[in-house]
Amino acid sequence: MGDDLMLLQGTLDVLILRALADGPQHGYAVARWIHDATDQALRVEDRALYVALHRALERGWVSASWGASENNRRARFYTLTRSGRRALARNQKQWASYVAAMTKALGQA
Amino acid sequence: MRLRRHAPADVPPSIDRDVDLEIREHLHRRTRALVAAGATEAEAGRRALAEFGDVSAAREEIGAIDARVDARRRGGWLAQFGRDLRQASRLFRRMPGLAAVVAISLGVGIGVNTIVFSWIESLVLKPLPGVSDAARLKLIEPRAETGSFPGVSWLELKDLQAELTTFESVLAARMVPLKIGEAGRSERKFGQFVSGNFFTALGVRPALGRLIVESDAAEAGGAPVAVLSYEFWQAHFEGSPAVVGQPLRVNDRPLTVIGVTPEGFIGTMSGVSFDVWVPGTLAPVLQPGSMELASRGIRGYSAMGRLKRGVSMADAQADVDALSRRLAAAYPSTNRTVVAEVREFWRTPRGPRQFLVSALLTLQAAMLILMLAICGNTATLLLARATSRTREMAVRLALGAGRARIVSLLLAESTLLALAGAAIGIVLTIFGTEMLRNDLGSLPRAFPLKFDTNLSGLGVMVAAALAFAGAALFGIAPAFQLARIAPTASLRISGTAVARNRLRDTIMAAEVALALMVLVVAGLFFRSYRQTIDTDPGFDRAGVALSAYELRGPAAQPGATRTFIADLLDRLRALPGVESAAVAVSVPLDIHGMPIRRFTLEGHTRPDGEDEEALTNTVTPGYFETMRMPIVSGSTFADMRDASAPPQAVVNEEFVRRFADGRQILGRRIENGARTFTIAGVVRNSLYESFGEPPTPMLYFSYRDRPTPTGEIHVRTRAGQETRLLPDIQRLVRGIDADLPVFNPRSLSGHVDSNLFYRRIPARMFIVLGPLLLALTAIGIYAVVSYAAARRTTEVGVRLALGATPRRVVTELLGETMRVVALGAVVGWIAAWWFTGRVDAAVYATVPIALLLVAALACWVPARRATRIDPLTALRQD
Repeated sequence: MGDDLMLLQGTLDVLILRALADGPQHGYAVARWIHDATDQALRVEDRALYVALHRALERGWVSASWGASENNRRARFYTLTRSGRRALARNQKQWASYVAAMTKALGQA
Repeated sequence: MRLRRHAPADVPPSIDRDVDLEIREHLHRRTRALVAAGATEAEAGRRALAEFGDVSAAREEIGAIDARVDARRRGGWLAQFGRDLRQASRLFRRMPGLAAVVAISLGVGIGVNTIVFSWIESLVLKPLPGVSDAARLKLIEPRAETGSFPGVSWLELKDLQAELTTFESVLAARMVPLKIGEAGRSERKFGQFVSGNFFTALGVRPALGRLIVESDAAEAGGAPVAVLSYEFWQAHFEGSPAVVGQPLRVNDRPLTVIGVTPEGFIGTMSGVSFDVWVPGTLAPVLQPGSMELASRGIRGYSAMGRLKRGVSMADAQADVDALSRRLAAAYPSTNRTVVAEVREFWRTPRGPRQFLVSALLTLQAAMLILMLAICGNTATLLLARATSRTREMAVRLALGAGRARIVSLLLAESTLLALAGAAIGIVLTIFGTEMLRNDLGSLPRAFPLKFDTNLSGLGVMVAAALAFAGAALFGIAPAFQLARIAPTASLRISGTAVARNRLRDTIMAAEVALALMVLVVAGLFFRSYRQTIDTDPGFDRAGVALSAYELRGPAAQPGATRTFIADLLDRLRALPGVESAAVAVSVPLDIHGMPIRRFTLEGHTRPDGEDEEALTNTVTPGYFETMRMPIVSGSTFADMRDASAPPQAVVNEEFVRRFADGRQILGRRIENGARTFTIAGVVRNSLYESFGEPPTPMLYFSYRDRPTPTGEIHVRTRAGQETRLLPDIQRLVRGIDADLPVFNPRSLSGHVDSNLFYRRIPARMFIVLGPLLLALTAIGIYAVVSYAAARRTTEVGVRLALGATPRRVVTELLGETMRVVALGAVVGWIAAWWFTGRVDAAVYATVPIALLLVAALACWVPARRATRIDPLTALRQD
């Protein structure tokens, strides 16, 4: 599991940033969005998602504040910061070129 | 430790809670979602946990990240203190009354200290504005056998410059009144005759042109040049650079302006500002007949020297002593009995400076004690307040705040109060020094007294230092008192368990002691001022108008002077409302004193064969009548126009007591300056140079016998009318001689009063500060008693319910506090005695009584209020 996590670290980061690109979300919603958006293909524990989320907080990509959720329970909301948006754009470009390169290489084989 | 789960020790509890909540929330939602999708409750819970992974590991990991984030956001301890300050600022909103009293009282304490400090600074630390490295400049003051300081002569100055080895340079200057401008439009100004090296040795650089140099003062009568002060240049030449090279008429002689001194430079006589500097070698030109360049007997220059680096005052003194001995041997007629002293600049024997400095140092000491008393009062207030904050602090401790945090928070509160106090103090200082300047500005213009009493950078630093020292003093005790409490104890027990608070009692007693000391000092200052004002100086101050004049050129010849004065007196006496009129060379109680002259009295010899000395004044007939100094025996002077009477003298009673040797004094002859005067009368003693002086022998001469070109017109009219007469006097003198400068118009009472400013200003300060301190002490005691009473509501209620009379309860509450106050008062009373060394029964009796009465009232009001409570209400509390 731990090996997978290491491998997927960059992947999780960019997914979290993408999940928050449409607006502030609490941790549970971020986790659900990632599971749904990847069609459950990404088999990671929620714990890893939370660690990645808090690391994004530490890097200043997201900010966090306590607020009330849709069913009026206390929840911690995460918002993409300006530097978070820049990181997302950068990562998306890297991913696109990485995927293109991989696809091209594998297609030739 | 087991209960703390896996959170690392350095993760703050609030972060721990947040992480917990977030994880629990996630698990809860996931479980709900799975149940909604059809899973059983138990299965949904298991799956949610499984999907999440190791919860405690997550908690630890996330907690650590968040702790790092938190630590970075908080910054270091400085940022922490900043947050404490912000939190402390809430104190102002929560207890505005307390904060206001503390900030204002600290502001006053800091303000008065800074005002006095700025004044001392201007006198002692910056005595010579515009001069570089003034600390190494020392006065070299010859002292006559009689203890007077006659200054050095021009020739002696040359010897000092040539022979003293411990000084880099020796320079000198002498004050000289000058008539500046064209005939008919002239002004009287003060200037200085200076040695050629004056400006170079002082290190003064010109604002414009050049300053006087050695070659300008190389030969007698030489170099007709003048240097202007910056202020004079601005006022008379609009600051035009074209002034260099322009002619300037000084005493009817054309001089050439060569330069302007820098702004702020006022010359080298303490507290007096000058407008013009000319080489000393011009003396015979500007004062025709002056022999001062050639005669060792004509002294008057103030000499000062710049010590060589590493030379001590003692070395310099030894050097000067050796030279004095050589001069005494070489010129016995002028130097046989003269020694010389090396002195710090502010200890000048001339002018009011030295006296002023010692008065100010006393004042500063009193103000520092006042500041201590204010700090004590603040500590009392904060401690009183602290008892009611016990619970707040217990809650903070229970919520996990460390004791260091609590101390830090409370010190932040003190710092904030001190900063507010410093700000108020600085504003007060700015206004205070302004007022002081205006007060000094009202002094006679003829002696342009000037003190550079601005708030300086050093002054601001002193204010800030006082604030922080104060904060430490009054803040530490309450801070540690509050931090010492046990969190649980204070939560359980409300306000009922009261041990007598020893710390608070000690501080309150100390505060009362300090307040009493300051009040006694204030009382003494005030009394001495009142006593001075009420002292009979031996002449009648009210109703006399004064104006000075100075005759020039041919009009200054003896014959012309006599005619002028006789004419002037006739016209003055003819003015409506004038009772009598006279002219005198000196006005008594002038800060610059009266001339001392040596004489021999017929039939009286000193054991050592030396001459006697006495203060002298030269006056016209009508002087004693105008001053209302009664003639005790004999008569006053002969009329100005009487050419037949022999030269006369009038002496005072002290003169008779000391020198008459018990025999008739009238008709005996006095020899002075190779002339003989016959004693015509004896006048009653009066004050001549200062209040509080012992009876001093006085010798009056007549203008008829010693016509002098300068004079002070004295005109007596109805008391209160004298200032109205001043324009008439001016007009009348101009009517005789349009070109005659008349200056320094003032009333005699104003003249005397202005020479008392060094007593008047402290007295005025204390008039405001005394009652203020009394009020502050009352507020402090009031606060202590009312908080103590409030905390003992239940006890009071029980006792009232059990039948104690309110009166008895009040008496007890009063007694507890008054014992402390009385102890403090006794200590302060003894300390004041020891500190001032003066016994003034009225002050030592009234001050403690006033203080104890105020304290008793401040106790009684809250104590009485405490007993007004309904016993049942009191018992129901808590």
